[in-house]
Amino acid sequence: MQIDQAHYHGWNGRLRTPWVACVAIVRVAVLQVFRNKAYWLVLGLGALRFLAFWSIIYAVTQLALPPDVRRVLLQQFGFNADSDLAQDNGYIGFMQGQSVIVMILLAFSGSLLVGSDFRLKSLPFYLSRRIDRRHYIVGKLLAISSVVTILTTLPALLLFLEYGMFTSAPAYWVDNWRVAVGVLAFGMVLCVVNSILLVAISAYLQRIVPITIAWASLFLLVGRLGDYLYRETENDFWRLLDPWRDMRLVGQLCFGTFRREIDQDLAWWALAILGSLSAVALVALVRRVRAVDVVE
Amino acid sequence: MQLVDIHHLSRSFGSVHALRDVNLSLESGTIGLIGNNGAGKSTLLKVLLGLLKPDSGGGTILGCDILHGTPDLRGRVGYMPEAAAIVPMLKGVEFVTFAGDLYGMPHRDARRRAHEVLNYVGLGELRYRRLEEYSIGNLQRLKLAAALVHDPQLLLLDEPTNGLDPAGRIVMLQLLEDLIAETGKSVFLCTHLLGDVERLCQQIVVLDRGTVVRAGTMEEMRDQVSNRYELSWEGPLDRYRAALANVGIRFAEEQPERSTKVMVTVPTGFSTTTFFEIARAAGVVLTELKADEENLERLFFRVTEQAAHAPATT
Repeated sequence: MQIDQAHYHGWNGRLRTPWVACVAIVRVAVLQVFRNKAYWLVLGLGALRFLAFWSIIYAVTQLALPPDVRRVLLQQFGFNADSDLAQDNGYIGFMQGQSVIVMILLAFSGSLLVGSDFRLKSLPFYLSRRIDRRHYIVGKLLAISSVVTILTTLPALLLFLEYGMFTSAPAYWVDNWRVAVGVLAFGMVLCVVNSILLVAISAYLQRIVPITIAWASLFLLVGRLGDYLYRETENDFWRLLDPWRDMRLVGQLCFGTFRREIDQDLAWWALAILGSLSAVALVALVRRVRAVDVVE
Repeated sequence: MQLVDIHHLSRSFGSVHALRDVNLSLESGTIGLIGNNGAGKSTLLKVLLGLLKPDSGGGTILGCDILHGTPDLRGRVGYMPEAAAIVPMLKGVEFVTFAGDLYGMPHRDARRRAHEVLNYVGLGELRYRRLEEYSIGNLQRLKLAAALVHDPQLLLLDEPTNGLDPAGRIVMLQLLEDLIAETGKSVFLCTHLLGDVERLCQQIVVLDRGTVVRAGTMEEMRDQVSNRYELSWEGPLDRYRAALANVGIRFAEEQPERSTKVMVTVPTGFSTTTFFEIARAAGVVLTELKADEENLERLFFRVTEQAAHAPATT
């Protein structure tokens, strides 16, 4: 092996605040996800679903469809067929559908984005630079949030814009401003809850199989348990055991539309449960990142 | 310039004392931190870098407080960890750029510097390869590039030649030698490979079970080495040993007590003619006297052996 005889050059620039490093962590995480070909199938599903919604909105706004066909198309995709309320539930449905895809993607990518830092002992690589544990945790949470946003909030906002632009009616923006707020608020809930839970679980379990099992148990098994207890007791509160359903309820709260009257009360409880769960996971995550100095 | 100045540094993990009352004062240059596995070398590096908080004690590196000045300190220090510490799916140049980003460099500068330092460490042609495809030797060089990207004043290298084959080790040592000669950077080399230290370092710190058992320049170490002699004699055993001990001569720990061939360490200013005078007075005939050509390896074993027999300090 020959050593390259290039000469060493110094660098005299100024170092910026460590918080800027969070942007780099996000950029690298998104790069990792999109570079992994195994995830392309899941990402492709998300893209297909977005294209399907985009096409429907295009069809009902741009093509001269018979009213019945138009009504059926809108109802199939969860939009209210009444033109005055055309945007109500379609976005919740879209985001909830997308979040299923996000859940699958996150179950597999937790090991890559967070678990590998612990498994490959890369944490000292991060923490020996100018960042500390706060920057690392915030960077990783933002990284997961970015993946969630790319698959849920961003396409939902694009659909909202598409609907508005194709209807060409200024009143659309005035009448439906709440939809945009709802999309952003629900997107934020998905980002916060998913990112904190995933980073905490991945920091402890590290490998893809345990992470997937824990993730699936949290969102499927606990949900089934809640359903069973609800059937036995007919008490709606048992269904709040399901974090998935809690997120859906909070989504309805964000959009201000509820399918059942009781859901309005349950949504606040769901928000409290998700807040508590996230707080517990965050504390566990901070403890885990601190505990690394012992295992190292 | 004072590089490291630490006082009464201690750190424990549960019941394990990784560092015990460590005091160090070192000048700029190349410093070798040696010790057996578990001696506390990596822990000391991590404390110096602010990755671990000491239980007690404190100090400065490059004038920065290790307890409170860590962001400023890390901007002036480059750390090369022992572990693989890679970020999966990245290419070499992206990894080093990422390291620069984490230091707080502007992204464009980090990217340009990544190309420069990768070229410098000899990975110019491999920079667009995925990290998973790098050999261990190339990974070590990549980690060195990541430590150099922000042009630090001090490099903390944790086992830089660990896991390398002989050819890879020579390349890495040559690279470090060139780097030190060309840039004058201070280097804190943490290793259990004494040959690496002998080749690169001007100062040496020997750690044993969390305690500094020897610290000084290589010249001081070599002076200690030349104070050792191997003696053989014919005649009464105890009388000559006692006479030698009376003038301050110490017997090496590893020598059997009932032997007439021993390794001794003499006090500073001792003249070799004294051996003959004592022999004559004790009625023995000195049959062999030779200066011990102790290398760093034997010195290391000697000082750690002495430390093992010394009473615990905590």
